[in-house]
Amino acid sequence: MAELMATLGLFGDALVSGLIAAIMVIVNLFPASISDAFQYAFMQRALLTSVLVGAICGILSCYVVLKRWSLLGDAISHAVLPGVAIAYLLGWPFFIGAFITGALTSVGIGAIERHTRIKSDAAMGLMFTGAFALGIVIISKIASSTHLMHILFGNVLGVQQSALLLTLVASVIALLVVWLAYRPLLLYAFDPQQAQALGFNTSVIHYGLILLLTLTIVASLETVGIILVVAMLITPGATAHLLTDRFKTMMLISVGVGVSSAVIGLWLSVVLDVASGGTIVLVATSCFFIALLFSPKHGVVMRQWRRWRMG
Amino acid sequence: MATTFGDTLVAIDVKNLYAAYQRQPVLENINLQFPAGKWTAIVGPNGAGKSTLFHVLTGSMKALRGSVQAFGEPITTHRKAGHIAYMAQREAIEWDFPVSVWETVMGGRYGHMRNDPLWRRLLPARWYHPRHGEAVHRALEAVDMLALAKRPIGALSGGQKKRVLLARTLAQQANILLLDEPLAGVDPPSERLILDVLAREREAGRTVIMVTHDMPGARRHVDHVVLINRFIRGVGAPDEMLSDAKLAELAVSSTEQSVYDMAADKASSFTVAQG
Repeated sequence: MAELMATLGLFGDALVSGLIAAIMVIVNLFPASISDAFQYAFMQRALLTSVLVGAICGILSCYVVLKRWSLLGDAISHAVLPGVAIAYLLGWPFFIGAFITGALTSVGIGAIERHTRIKSDAAMGLMFTGAFALGIVIISKIASSTHLMHILFGNVLGVQQSALLLTLVASVIALLVVWLAYRPLLLYAFDPQQAQALGFNTSVIHYGLILLLTLTIVASLETVGIILVVAMLITPGATAHLLTDRFKTMMLISVGVGVSSAVIGLWLSVVLDVASGGTIVLVATSCFFIALLFSPKHGVVMRQWRRWRMG
Repeated sequence: MATTFGDTLVAIDVKNLYAAYQRQPVLENINLQFPAGKWTAIVGPNGAGKSTLFHVLTGSMKALRGSVQAFGEPITTHRKAGHIAYMAQREAIEWDFPVSVWETVMGGRYGHMRNDPLWRRLLPARWYHPRHGEAVHRALEAVDMLALAKRPIGALSGGQKKRVLLARTLAQQANILLLDEPLAGVDPPSERLILDVLAREREAGRTVIMVTHDMPGARRHVDHVVLINRFIRGVGAPDEMLSDAKLAELAVSSTEQSVYDMAADKASSFTVAQG
């Protein structure tokens, strides 16, 4: 078992080095004023992590936006905190703890919604703030406040090899699941009742999607942190939704927005010496507003232009 | 062993069914048999539990009590085999969703695709097995929407949306069709087209069950009528069940309910169809 883990570790390291080398080939095509920043090992790790996080957040955000799960994504991301703290205490991988508290919270929200007169927004609000508070209390007991800051707002420049590997594994799993379950996921997002009538097990799809969301959030923990990951789970999908009426195109655009805002945001944050997580999100938000103004079909400018020409 | 209905087979057999939303009873003591290969209309005032009955049949809602069988087996077996197609009301669909008409109709094939080998399912459906593409093509042809196959569903008119939903049910090539108000809010040409398509489905031996408020259409086409308002209020031939007297009786049947439900029913209106 130990041997297997060691072999897997070696394989992972080799894979990471390979991916970094591939990315650096592209980076070095840029003028030295840009590529210079990426010559340090920590910057290269940060770059690869950002690319991966941008990509899986981009994919998942299509489902989040179309399924109107923005608030649920927010809830799960906050609810992950106590899980991370407990996992840290017990020496478990972050993902396991995060998934347990994330899933428990989403089940709790569903139960309150179904069995009481409390509506879903209140159910989400009270469950995730409760879980978040628990996380803060536990962390204040066991770790320094810088540590808490890193979990909340990300610390992409300080990403360790192990965290990078986790992000890589999470990205590969998320990608595989979305590819293998493309049709059930699409049908469930579009028309759950139809999925049910066709004999699909919709609760498996539902909790599968929540699991994917949790996986993505944990993978993004080090990069943008659990507060700002919500932006990465909404903004790329929302931007893409303004630009196309095709689901596959929406996914491609969303991944494009996610990856480019992660990379540009990372670079800007280093050049300007500001917080990376926040910069990444701001770049994504700018993409959204550009799309809002200039989208050929649903953009404000083109709509005004059409109105002006008609009238 | 499948039960029979007179001398025809029973497609769906509902026994002793109770269903409720938030502890409010919606359906009580429902015992119903839908004859196979026939066209049945379900008629009742708004809020009578017609859609709820469909939600139970499609599995998106759990009944409090009772059983539902299709051709003598649990209905879940038939759902998994793709034998039961469902057409939702127009309001149940997110029309903003970024899919084309073709992709939406292809959704009706997703149940059957589970029987295809895994490696094939990873490719676009049209390439790996022409029968899926053919079924979609034929369904779109039947509802006269082939020309708009590539259009995003958000850019369709009301009647076109209904026709796309109908095409999705047709593409499934199921032997039981459940249609929730297929004729609501459509223009007269679309209505004629939808009724013709359903008549052809019945001729092909399929069981067609639809909720409708369109009395003239029902009188002309269906073989069998179920009147429902929380309880079953009548089952029989169209000329008997859709007589003005019977419909008037159905419209006031809510007065038999307890005072508790009256408020909810006041909001709903049910007009006896004119002519």
